[in-house]
Amino acid sequence: MSERESRYAIDARGVEVTYGDGTEAVRGVDLRIPEGEFFGFLGANGAGKTTTIKTLVTLLSATGGEISINGHDVDESPRAVRQTVGYMAQETAIDTDLTARENIQFACEAYGVSGDARAERIDELLDLVELADVQDKTADGFSGGMKKRLDAATALVHEPPLVFLDEPTTGLDPKARNRLWDYFERINEQGTTLFLTTQYLEEADQLCDRLSLIRDGRIVATGSPDELKSQVGGQRLDIDVDAADPEPAVAVAREFFGTDATIEPTDDGLGVTAESARERGTDLLVALRDADIAVTGFNIRAPTLDDVFLAITDDDDSLDGGNAGEPASAGATDAEGGR
Amino acid sequence: MSDASRRANDSFAWDVWVNFKRWTLKAVRNPFVLVVSLAQPIIFLVLFTQVFGGVATGAINRGGGAAISYETYLVPAIAIQVSLAAAVTSGIGLVEDIEEGSFEKILVSPMHRSGVFLGKSTAELLRIAAQIAIILGLGTLLGAEISGGVAGGLAIVGIGVLFSLWFMGLSNIIAVTTRDQESTIIASNVLQFPLLFLSTGFLPLEALPDWVQAVATVNPVTYGIDAARAVMLGRDTMTVIEVTQFTGIWNTLVPALVVLAVLDLVLGGIAVYLIGRASSSDVA
Repeated sequence: MSERESRYAIDARGVEVTYGDGTEAVRGVDLRIPEGEFFGFLGANGAGKTTTIKTLVTLLSATGGEISINGHDVDESPRAVRQTVGYMAQETAIDTDLTARENIQFACEAYGVSGDARAERIDELLDLVELADVQDKTADGFSGGMKKRLDAATALVHEPPLVFLDEPTTGLDPKARNRLWDYFERINEQGTTLFLTTQYLEEADQLCDRLSLIRDGRIVATGSPDELKSQVGGQRLDIDVDAADPEPAVAVAREFFGTDATIEPTDDGLGVTAESARERGTDLLVALRDADIAVTGFNIRAPTLDDVFLAITDDDDSLDGGNAGEPASAGATDAEGGR
Repeated sequence: MSDASRRANDSFAWDVWVNFKRWTLKAVRNPFVLVVSLAQPIIFLVLFTQVFGGVATGAINRGGGAAISYETYLVPAIAIQVSLAAAVTSGIGLVEDIEEGSFEKILVSPMHRSGVFLGKSTAELLRIAAQIAIILGLGTLLGAEISGGVAGGLAIVGIGVLFSLWFMGLSNIIAVTTRDQESTIIASNVLQFPLLFLSTGFLPLEALPDWVQAVATVNPVTYGIDAARAVMLGRDTMTVIEVTQFTGIWNTLVPALVVLAVLDLVLGGIAVYLIGRASSSDVA
């Protein structure tokens, strides 16, 4: 593979996609994903996740920027790109007229897996996605989870070094989801680069080495799950109070922490996010009692990606400076870097 | 990891073959579709010969020449009806692939795109040929006579296949424009009956009212049926364009096949263009 000079599975710079109707779906996305990474691409519906992924796999042409996939330029050698990527679309795409085995067989043939290796490869994949016992049944009787797993198998027939997964677990029950996660982790351990889009932050947290958050077609934060969480700043303390109006409690907390914490009213009371939330939490509860506010419950936890997500998507001002915090040292709009 | 940048089978012919196999397998998996698309023409064949046979025989033999039965007269029309009905499924298959996501999946594969569609079309043409052959066999059992025997039968199959291409093109145009299965089925079906009845399919041109004659003259179905019928009867049957430069059935076949070929090229070309646009990676 002389063409592959970079060690980046994905090297995309300044990608812009503007649809014919003027919609700017992607506005200057930079992505550099090293080989072997499990990369997560997060964003709300309509943020530009699917448009980006379709552009990376040659289904759409970028209206601006440069994209190199596994060392191949998407405009100059789209077929080489197609040969070296696996793509699992958001909507399950299998042929329900065909059996599980025939679906994988067709994919093998489409990707030119040689005749000798084909039967073995099909058996291997059927085992991997645990459909060996139903391999000769047509797929129209399969459950949603089985179809997804079959779809995943067909995306892997040619052992692509890079696999794109567009919301692969949407609509699956937790058990089926966990099973798919296992497969993804397994192929990632074997060296496959994975590019995952998801709305489930738990999924990204558990699977991904590194994440980027996209909003309105722009990447607004990049880093490992821990880096992103630490940007939210410290621990999160939720306190439930027995009062219709949480404002007095919020006032007490604000006075208690001063400027060291972010304090906001919640449905049941208030939420405190602070580095010292764990250490000083008990003292705050005492302060609340002294102020005659009855505390009915409290919970202290580390921030989750949900907090990151909410902090970023709620807070416009923190984005426009392009500064997503310390750990993402390369800048908020640049997903460059290793692990 | 294997060297994934190279395909073991990277030829155009291979892609045609792989897709031909897929669509043939799908057709075999859905014998119901095969049977249903034959059912209506068979019902027509039986009902028309039984109900109208008596009255129609007079009309078709008015021109003189050796007397022919209505069965013999009708079978070429039914063959073309089969061709129409079967061609519709081409667009339906495309819409199904678009709706099921298989279309996109194929576009993201390294297969040659024209190979993909050539393979699909070849499978469909083979099925159309088989269905016409079944109708010819059935017609013969009912008493129809093919003047050229087996060779004549094969020629009619060939004409049916040539005829089907323009309607296949049309159904794909509807499919890729609407991207909706129901619309494709309805639009194609709505077209079928007027096309069939406003042609020389069931009665000779001169037995039809003036306005129907006018429509029949520009109706592609007339050219398909006239060509098939010329082979069936072994004589010049074309009544919409008078051609006398050739001899015998060639006075029908040459103009009819030229008209059909031009139509195939135009509609097939538009379909190929639209499918190409739908599958090209441009953000349109």
